Amino acid sequence: MEDGKTMLEVIGPTVEDAIEMGLDQLGLPREAVEVEVLDPGSKGVFGLGGRQARVRLTFGMIKKEAVSDTGTVQKIETEQESLSLDTLTAEENQRSLQVASMVVRDLLERMHVRAKVSARYLQVPDEVEQPTVLIEIQGNDLSILIGRRSETLNALQYLTNLIVGKELSRWVPVLIDVQGYRARRERQLRILARRMAEQAIHTGRRQVLEPMPPDERRLIHLELRDHPHVTTESIGEDPNRKVTIVPKK
Amino acid sequence: MVKELIEYIALALVDDPSQVVVSQHQMGGRTRLELRVAREDMGRVIGKNGRVANAMRVLLRVAAARERKQATLDVVEPR
Repeated sequence: MEDGKTMLEVIGPTVEDAIEMGLDQLGLPREAVEVEVLDPGSKGVFGLGGRQARVRLTFGMIKKEAVSDTGTVQKIETEQESLSLDTLTAEENQRSLQVASMVVRDLLERMHVRAKVSARYLQVPDEVEQPTVLIEIQGNDLSILIGRRSETLNALQYLTNLIVGKELSRWVPVLIDVQGYRARRERQLRILARRMAEQAIHTGRRQVLEPMPPDERRLIHLELRDHPHVTTESIGEDPNRKVTIVPKK
Repeated sequence: MVKELIEYIALALVDDPSQVVVSQHQMGGRTRLELRVAREDMGRVIGKNGRVANAMRVLLRVAAARERKQATLDVVEPR
């Protein structure tokens, strides 16, 4: 990159989505990149089987524009360096996204579930060693994909992680969400944690919650970690392991 | 066909895809699937405490329900 420019190709359900995903990945504002639409994509007859949109983002022009004092120049140049170092893995990161969404699409197709699948990174890939791929599934009546205590969603996520890991010959964490379910569930769990903590204090007795998968238990522990009047612990064996909330003496 | 779901997953997980066989037996409204893989791949499709096989069963249940059927999965020891 002698001229200080680097490129990233991104695919997404629509051109706008692809641009958004690319900017998310780069952690750059829209103004910092040049967008070239390589393929506008197509919807496909059944929502499935459509072609994804492909865009190329060119970035690295910041240096010429944003210079006020030497400090700023220094900082931008450091960023440039780290970006150029990571362009090698940018391709790998892009491939992980593609493989992960392809695996989920393949699985859903064989489960006879029609839905839209999009993939992006949860974090900026340049800033963490192993960024998590977030797969979002959108469609009508997808409660069948969640199941009791998110059993189906977790099975789908578990198998996807195994298949993607095998395909890429390295571990890439993949998180799957259906219709914003995980975010909703997270909010519910936080409220539940607070309420049960109050009950524990009020009654002076330990409160035992429903069995939960590990990530949900972790959320409860985190939510109450700094609580002044209760402590939390998990008891029992998976899949019946439960969080208990114990009032402090 | 629900068989395709299990075939897809098994083929993606094993080291030796040539040994993957899924046979399907129909018993009334119930479908019984038998998955056979190379001995060395048994662990990959069963998993610790049967976790992989159980995850396959969970997805299989959804796939079968979409066809208004019930289906079971057994991982069978190679002969």
